[in-house]
Amino acid sequence: MIEIQTKPWHAMVLHAERIYPNECCGAMLGRIQSGKKVVTEAIPLENAFAGGQQERYELRPEDLLAADRAARERGLDLVGIFHSHPDCDAYFSKTDLQNSCPWYSFVVLSITNGKFVHANSFLPDADQTKADAEELIWPKS
Amino acid sequence: MAKILIPTALRQFTEQKDAVEVTGATVGEALNYLTAQYPNIKKNLFNDQGRLRSFVNVYVNDEDIRYLDKDETKLQGDETISIVPSIAGGTVGLAEPETVGAGQAESLTNEEVARYSRHLLLPEVGMEGQLKLKQANVIMIGAGGLGAPLGLYLAAAGVGRIGIVDFDVVDASNLQRQVIHGTSDLGRKKLDSAADRMLDINPNVQIDKFDTGLSSENALEILKDYDIVVDGTDNFPTRYLVNDACVLLKKPNVYGSIFRFEGQATVFAYEDGPCYRCLYPEPPPPGLVPSCAEGGVLGILPGLIGVIQATETVKIILGKGETLKNRLLLYDALNMRFRELRLQRDRNCPVCGDHPTVTKLIDYQEFCGIRPMASQAAPAEGAIDVIEVKQKLDRGDNFTLIDVREPHEYQIARIPGAKLIPLGELPKHLDELDRDADIVAHCKTGGRSQKAVDLLKQNGFTHVRNMTGGITAWSDKVDPAVPKY
Repeated sequence: MIEIQTKPWHAMVLHAERIYPNECCGAMLGRIQSGKKVVTEAIPLENAFAGGQQERYELRPEDLLAADRAARERGLDLVGIFHSHPDCDAYFSKTDLQNSCPWYSFVVLSITNGKFVHANSFLPDADQTKADAEELIWPKS
Repeated sequence: MAKILIPTALRQFTEQKDAVEVTGATVGEALNYLTAQYPNIKKNLFNDQGRLRSFVNVYVNDEDIRYLDKDETKLQGDETISIVPSIAGGTVGLAEPETVGAGQAESLTNEEVARYSRHLLLPEVGMEGQLKLKQANVIMIGAGGLGAPLGLYLAAAGVGRIGIVDFDVVDASNLQRQVIHGTSDLGRKKLDSAADRMLDINPNVQIDKFDTGLSSENALEILKDYDIVVDGTDNFPTRYLVNDACVLLKKPNVYGSIFRFEGQATVFAYEDGPCYRCLYPEPPPPGLVPSCAEGGVLGILPGLIGVIQATETVKIILGKGETLKNRLLLYDALNMRFRELRLQRDRNCPVCGDHPTVTKLIDYQEFCGIRPMASQAAPAEGAIDVIEVKQKLDRGDNFTLIDVREPHEYQIARIPGAKLIPLGELPKHLDELDRDADIVAHCKTGGRSQKAVDLLKQNGFTHVRNMTGGITAWSDKVDPAVPKY
C-alpha cells in the first residue's frame, strides 16, 4: 500500500497538469512504516526522453541519484516514481513495464484535457514481465 | 573503504543497512564483495547470466561506470558507489491491446460450420480456407469510414483475430458513413463501439483494441504481430507511416482512400509489388488536398472502397484469385466508372527500392510539412482566439471579419457580421479591402483562413489575423447555436 500526503500529491498533480500535453515524471520520497509507504515529498524531474514527449518519458539516472541523495539527507527514502499519461488511462503500459525497476512503486496519473482524472500504482517484477497493482491512497480534496 | 549505497527496496537483503562498506580494486570486485556478503541481493542486481540487469546503472561518485571502464573501473577505496536504476516509460507501444471476443482455434465448432456454410460451399474457400480465415491476424488502422465496412465484413467472414487502432470517439458527423457506429454510440470510443458491433455479428472472433494513434514510436511494435495491415487512415502522415512500417515489416498493406465522390484501392508492399511511395514519392504540400472534414465525402463511398479492401484482405488470406497488386483501382461514384492504373515497383524507391535510404520510421508530420502542435497554449503569431473575436464584435471594434469558406458552407452556418469571400475568390477582391484595416479571417477549422492570411500579408496587408479553430471553435466556445458540420 502507498499513501501520498496532501502536499506532495498537489505537487504531483500540478506538475502533471502543467507539463500536459507532454508526459511528466518525478520521484516520490517518504518512509516505509510497517510495510506501508507514506509519501511526504514529491520531486518533479525533467522528462529527458529525446523525442516526442507526449507519449514517452525518461528519467535521467543522474537526476534519480540526486533525488536519492536528497532523500537520504532528509532522513527519507526514495520510495517511488511517478509519471503521467496525457489523454490516456492510468495503466502500466508495456513501455512502462519494459523500462521499469522492481525497487519502487510506480504511480501513473491519467491527465485528460489538461486535468487530473485518476491514478494507479504498480509494482513491477524484476524480469519486467508483469506489474501488480498496488493499493494507492491520495487526498480526495 | 569504498561504500555502496543501498536503495531502500534492497535493504531487506542487507540487514536494513543503507550503506555497505566494501573492498575491491575494481567496481566488479566491490559488487562481488557485496553479493558474497549478502547473497540474496544478487538476483536483484544481476540476471541469470550473471550480468547486471538492464535497468541497473552503477555510479562511482558522480560518474556512470559505463563511461568509465565499466566493471574494471578502478577504485582508490574512498569512493561512494551508487546503484541507480534507469527508468522510462510512456503510453506508446501500448502494444498490450485490450482483447475481447473468442479467439483462434484449430478447428470449427458446429455453430461455426453452420455460420460459415455459404463459404464452406465455395471450393475456393471450403474448410481449408475457412480455417485459414480463423487463424488469420489482420490489423485495421482506423475504425472510421473505411474501417466501418471492413470491420463488419472481416468479422462476419470469420477472420480469427482482428486488431483495431483508433483513438477517436463517435461524433455526430461520422454517422453519415461510418455504419459500424450507431446513434446510441455517440461519444463512445470508436474502438468499443466497433468491437461491440463486430462481436454481435460474430462472437467467434477476437478483437484487439489499441486505444492510441499510430505513431513512429509504436507502429512496428503494434503491427508486427499481424499478417496483413489494412489502411483506413484519413491523413498523409499516417498513410506514409503505415506504408513504411509495412515495407519494413514485409507485410501487405491493403490500401484505400476516399475523397468527395472518388476512391482508390490497391494492395501495396505485397510480394514483389510496389509500395505507396512508388506511386507517390512525395506528399502533397500541406493543405493542398483537403481532408474529408474540409472537402466532404459521399457517405456511401467509403462503404464501397472499404468492402474492396475487405475483399482483397480475404483473398490474400485464402491465397486465391488475383489481387490488386500492381493495379490501382480508381472509382468515380458520381459517374459510376471504374478505371485501373498499372503500377510497378520503383527500383529507386527510397523505402522498397533496390537501395533503400529509409530504413527506419521517420517523423511523418515533418515529412508531410505539418508543424507539430507543441505550442498549443501560446497562439501562433497572427492568430486570434474565438473569444477575443466575440469580444471585438460585442465592443463594436472597427475591424473586418472575412469568412473564406464556400457559399454552400456559409448556408450551413455563419458568424453574424462576417463577410463571405471564398478563398479562391480572394485574389480578385483584394482591392475591396483596406490594407491598413484590422482584418480577421476564418474558415471551418482554421486551415484555409491561414492561407488567406498568408495571401493578404503577401499583398501588403499589415493587420491580418487567423481565427484559431474556425467556426467549429466558435460553435464550441462562443455560440453552440451555430451548427457544427
